[in-house]
Amino acid sequence: MTGVLPTLPPPRYHAAMPTCYLDWAASAPPYLDILQESAALAASDYGNPSSLHSTGKSARTALEDARAVFGRVVGAAPERIVFTSGGTEADSIALLSAIVAKGQRSIVISAIEHAAVFEQARVIEELGVKVIRVRPGADGVVDPGAVADAVRPDTAIVAVMAVNNETGAVQPIDRIVEAVRAATADSGRTPFFHCDAVQGLGSIGFDAAALGVDGAAFSAHKLGGPRGVGAMYLRKSITPLARGGGQERGVRPGTHNTAGAWAFSRAAERSSAARAESFIRARDHERALLDGLRSIPGAAPLPLSRRPGDDRYSPYIVCATFPGIGGEILARLLDEAGIAVATGAACSGAKKERRVLDAMGVSRELSFSSIRISTGRDTTISDIDLFLERAAAAYARYRV
Amino acid sequence: MDALFLIKIGEIRLKDGNRAEFENRLKRDIKRRLSSFHSELTSREGRYYLKVDEENAAQAEFALSRTPGVNGWARAVKTPKTMDRIAGAALDAMAPLAARGISTFKVESRRSDKGFPLDSYGISREVGGAILERFPAMRVDVHNPHATVYVEVREKAYVYTDGTSGVRGLPVGSGGRGLLLLSGGIDSPVAGYMMLGRGLALESLYFHAYPYTSREAWEKVRDLAANLATYSGGMLLHTAHFTEVQLKIKKDALPEKTTLYLRACMMLAADMLAKRRGLNSIVSGESLGQVASQTAENMRFTGAYTDLAILRPLAGTDKEDTIRTARTIGTYDISILPYEDCCVLFSPKHPVLKAKFEEERAAFDALGFRDVVAEAVAGVETVELPFTFTPPRAAEVPR
Repeated sequence: MTGVLPTLPPPRYHAAMPTCYLDWAASAPPYLDILQESAALAASDYGNPSSLHSTGKSARTALEDARAVFGRVVGAAPERIVFTSGGTEADSIALLSAIVAKGQRSIVISAIEHAAVFEQARVIEELGVKVIRVRPGADGVVDPGAVADAVRPDTAIVAVMAVNNETGAVQPIDRIVEAVRAATADSGRTPFFHCDAVQGLGSIGFDAAALGVDGAAFSAHKLGGPRGVGAMYLRKSITPLARGGGQERGVRPGTHNTAGAWAFSRAAERSSAARAESFIRARDHERALLDGLRSIPGAAPLPLSRRPGDDRYSPYIVCATFPGIGGEILARLLDEAGIAVATGAACSGAKKERRVLDAMGVSRELSFSSIRISTGRDTTISDIDLFLERAAAAYARYRV
Repeated sequence: MDALFLIKIGEIRLKDGNRAEFENRLKRDIKRRLSSFHSELTSREGRYYLKVDEENAAQAEFALSRTPGVNGWARAVKTPKTMDRIAGAALDAMAPLAARGISTFKVESRRSDKGFPLDSYGISREVGGAILERFPAMRVDVHNPHATVYVEVREKAYVYTDGTSGVRGLPVGSGGRGLLLLSGGIDSPVAGYMMLGRGLALESLYFHAYPYTSREAWEKVRDLAANLATYSGGMLLHTAHFTEVQLKIKKDALPEKTTLYLRACMMLAADMLAKRRGLNSIVSGESLGQVASQTAENMRFTGAYTDLAILRPLAGTDKEDTIRTARTIGTYDISILPYEDCCVLFSPKHPVLKAKFEEERAAFDALGFRDVVAEAVAGVETVELPFTFTPPRAAEVPR
């Protein structure tokens, strides 16, 4: 690379301000004590859990302890839990098993799946497997009947996410599972039901037994654990595409991340214990956010019909539109004002996909101008107020 | 000093009256680019000879490949002073040329070591004979050869052939100094490169409209300018903050006229800055018909806001040729990075295609953009991008 190139001075809009973090759905600040303890564990229990000697066995103990703890959090027996390198890997292990499934040549997914499922499905499609995509309603929620109707006799996998990462729409997983089972009961060939619960676990929780899914994907860093760790719930066995040393029952080969799994289990446990109380606060934040958005002339939540306290939405995620200013531009201005939010739209957004909002039938003008505000355990009402104040100011100044 | 380059100059040789001035400029340009290490540049019979240490040879080649006025250069191979070794080096040099299908050649020899047993004619004859023997399809043509093999016998022997093409054209600055309207796109860096090759020294002007354009967009333009700086021997990049201008256009102008008026405001700003900086021309990457609004009528309208020469080297260039040049000069991969330099918020769906000159001027002037543009020009921020052997590249890993 070259030497140090000159840069522009900071924009005049910029002022040194404390960061107000409203992008929890992208990644949550980690629990510091758990991170520190897991670093100590990584140093002490460095053995390979697959080794037969006592150093390895010690690591194995920590790993199995993590599995038991995590299993309790998601309502599953420890042997149903497989640790992975993250949510994306957990999704792809499930999805790619469709390639090795014999005689079953289609999969059904919702049109609003995270890229970890949606893009993986495109690859599977290129390999000759039919991919059927089920659109949500205008509210962003997928209809159980629509999923059941899409399933064919040769469908290997049905995948619907727990909570949409852009809109916060909570999918009725239990009812979708039920509808799919009912529709396929006569054929005797029930497809494998996979649920990407990456946004669900830390927010609305996840109960494998109650939902009735066959598999699910989780990610540690969304709920205060470390990056690079995830997990799968597997009620049924699957045939994985990738093979290796047989770890995690062969489903996820590769040397275990003992400390990561341990930290994930503890973060999940802690987040789970605080869920009920945290959820009430999140509903308050949601109310302040939605009411505040509606008081900014021109701004609105997406979908436009969303009201506070609606069970169809996770209170932790709000999609908002500010017509007349690109979502990326507003996110940039907010960043300069010390507020971190997310956007899917680039400046050239009109040319780009806004897949989830498109699928809901949201107009390009609104989707192009949208940002995502997501809250978490440390969020306070004053964070919401600060966001509203600065978003309103930036919007008034720069909308065109 | 064991790396020797023979440098050929092109168009300068055709200059009669002020050839010395052109030559001095070119020599100074070469020396300046190599100022970070020791080099010797001498000239003889319309050829330049550059000597640098072996460890700096790659840098010297880089500099020569990016100095307008240099037509081409050849790296000489140094051999011991025996005819076997000299002929061997000549055969090595000819092999790739023969493989390319070159069929006629001549050998030009010089002998400054008068103790060498053969005179220059004898050297040429021996080397030519060896080439004919190895490559039977070759013929000697002393008047119009496809390739020339040069042999010089000095303290050592040097062998070289015609070598690599340079930028050609005229030394930077021989055509005065102009202002390049540099966007983040593919065209404007190529337009700048072409004018640099015609001897026009350049400063660049970028219109930044934060927050509608991002810092990444500015950094992309900076990296483009830094690449152009390797051809110009350093470059000033001026940044005009155009947010207020854009907002005023959006507020006051009819939607279909926003693109046209923005271009007129840019021209007005360029005119003001160029005059402040004492520049003689404005360089634009416009190409006739490339987008619907790049019409002769629209160029006439925007051109009315400066009385400086507007140089549009791409006006008649095919886009594919522009892209090829952009790849050659190393700006293409940066230009295609996805940071837009002009936000869709300001782009009308149906822009004015053929501005009616008198009518449009009156309408534009009535809206009074001069003050807000002057303010942007007054607030221009300038950074200097020096010549570098390692210009920035587009990051290989996406962010």
